[in-house]
Amino acid sequence: MQYLIQLLVSGLAIGAIYGLIAMGFAVIYKSTGLVNFAQGEMTMITAYIAWTISTTVSGNVFVVALGAILAAVVLGLVIERVVMRPMLGEPVFATVMVTIGLAVILRSSINFIWDAYPHGLDIGVGRTIVRIGPIGVRTGQIAVIVTLLLLLAAIWAFFRYSKIGVAMRAVAADDRTALLMGISATRIHALAWAASSVIAGIGGVFFALSYDLSPAMFQLGLKAFPATILGGLDAVLGSGLGGLLIGVTENLAGGYLGSGMKEVAGFAMIIVVLMVRPFGIFGERDIERV
Amino acid sequence: MRTGDFKQTYGELVTLVDSPPVWLWSAVLVAALIVAPFVLNSYALSFLMTILITAVGALGLNILTGYTGLISLGHVGFLVTGAYAYAVLVSKYHMPPLVGFFGAGVVPALASLIVGAPSLRLKGLYLAITTLAFSFIINTVILEARWLTNGARGISVQRPEIFGLSSDSDAAFTYLCLGFAVLTLIATLNIRRSRVGRAFVAIRDNDTAARVMGINLHAYKLFAFVTSAFFTGLSGALYGIYLSFVSVEGFPFLLSIEALAILIVGGLGSALGAVLGTVLIVLLPEATRMVFSLFSAQMDALFSTGAQELKSMLYGLVIILFLRFQPRGLVGAWHDIRRLWVNWPLRY
Repeated sequence: MQYLIQLLVSGLAIGAIYGLIAMGFAVIYKSTGLVNFAQGEMTMITAYIAWTISTTVSGNVFVVALGAILAAVVLGLVIERVVMRPMLGEPVFATVMVTIGLAVILRSSINFIWDAYPHGLDIGVGRTIVRIGPIGVRTGQIAVIVTLLLLLAAIWAFFRYSKIGVAMRAVAADDRTALLMGISATRIHALAWAASSVIAGIGGVFFALSYDLSPAMFQLGLKAFPATILGGLDAVLGSGLGGLLIGVTENLAGGYLGSGMKEVAGFAMIIVVLMVRPFGIFGERDIERV
Repeated sequence: MRTGDFKQTYGELVTLVDSPPVWLWSAVLVAALIVAPFVLNSYALSFLMTILITAVGALGLNILTGYTGLISLGHVGFLVTGAYAYAVLVSKYHMPPLVGFFGAGVVPALASLIVGAPSLRLKGLYLAITTLAFSFIINTVILEARWLTNGARGISVQRPEIFGLSSDSDAAFTYLCLGFAVLTLIATLNIRRSRVGRAFVAIRDNDTAARVMGINLHAYKLFAFVTSAFFTGLSGALYGIYLSFVSVEGFPFLLSIEALAILIVGGLGSALGAVLGTVLIVLLPEATRMVFSLFSAQMDALFSTGAQELKSMLYGLVIILFLRFQPRGLVGAWHDIRRLWVNWPLRY
């Protein structure tokens, strides 16, 4: 029983990280109709920048957090402006291929800008173990679950009540009509890339806090794919919750079926989800009339 | 004055080759490739072998991505399945190499049925995601199934002996690869000009319209996927023989990206494009290294230490730049030049 609870808790913690990255996928898909294959790489870059700030500028938690968020915003905006905006109006196929190209470039840039060795992001928080009853949890793991829940609430409110949130939904629903209503689609796209980069980047920094930084960290993006498929590619909140589900499933599979199963549990789930409910648990069914 | 290239019957539209000079130049190219192993040194010959092996896989992916317009990010999964199918059949169970090659095509084709059946019912990018998932699952399966695949230790493979002819020497193995490449090229060209090929292109251009014209989308997409996996598996078997050792590490995920880069650089939906793209992409890292080493020895050192990273960066850059500035690829550029040549000094 204790083993099960321990697996569930650590599953929720890693699941929250997947959830954050999956939300990053969903934000971009919802406002631009693209699957951003470079999401995991953007997450990794943000985490590496946070690590650089912690070693060179200051190890203070707030400095690192603020620096990482600013860096993520800049990263998202630069990528949107330099790489994605020239592709506006091109077929989806070409634009998605561009994100794949971008992913490879960002992935290999880690080895040139930083190095190939693993690093720990040590800013004095997140690694202490708290005992709740019989199980031990790291404070970083609690923090990431809380952050995910807070962000879910904030994003729900943002899309529901704020003017920009409504504009983003309008562009997603029908970009021409949105243009006629005086909404600048390019500005919304830029915003979506920045927001997605920040949300995923937070996940990356939390990952670096609890585990380690390494050039293989981009695989977080691949792990977050099942989460966003499960929740629904166009459902931001659903993707966040999908992350928790995938994290728990993966940990249970790893705990009871063996470590090989842990690696593929999420991917096996993608194929099952696509067979049963291809638009995800919370996604909207796409209806097409001929 | 020649004003253009006009087709007057349906037959002319679907011929394999539409002008005699193309036959001539193809014959010259084949003759040159047959002479090449005697002229080239072993370093250059290794590039020629890589080009021929990669061309088989690129032509296979071209059926799926180029003709049918579906993205696969997991073709390295079929490559590794094909290589293992050959290695297990020939090295472990001592079957004749031809049976091995047959298995190297059929086993990935069966695997593609399992992946394709659920994901091809859906529109859009789902195939890219499920194939990506597949390429990771298959690596785990291979590592876990130790009784069959030796797990992480891999299987070593000998150069095959077919019809009593040994391909131990590099020249003989080049001929084997050349044979496979030429057969694959002819097969894809013939698929393209048949009813099936036209259905593929119709699905790519507008799937709703294709459906209305009576094309069974699910069946044809699945057929494209299976055919593509078949050829990719053959390419994997050849690559395994070339490396003389089959292991999961020998087939990194970068190969999937390399294959997509080849198609984009060459020009999507054209067999000629797939071949031109292969030549460019295989030679690109070497060419870049030579250019940079002219400038400084320091750059040369960088290339030897971070070869894999520089390679992936080059592929990424090439994909983005071609999509941005020359979306029709090398074939598109060639068509432009040809039109300029025919119509000059008029614009059209």
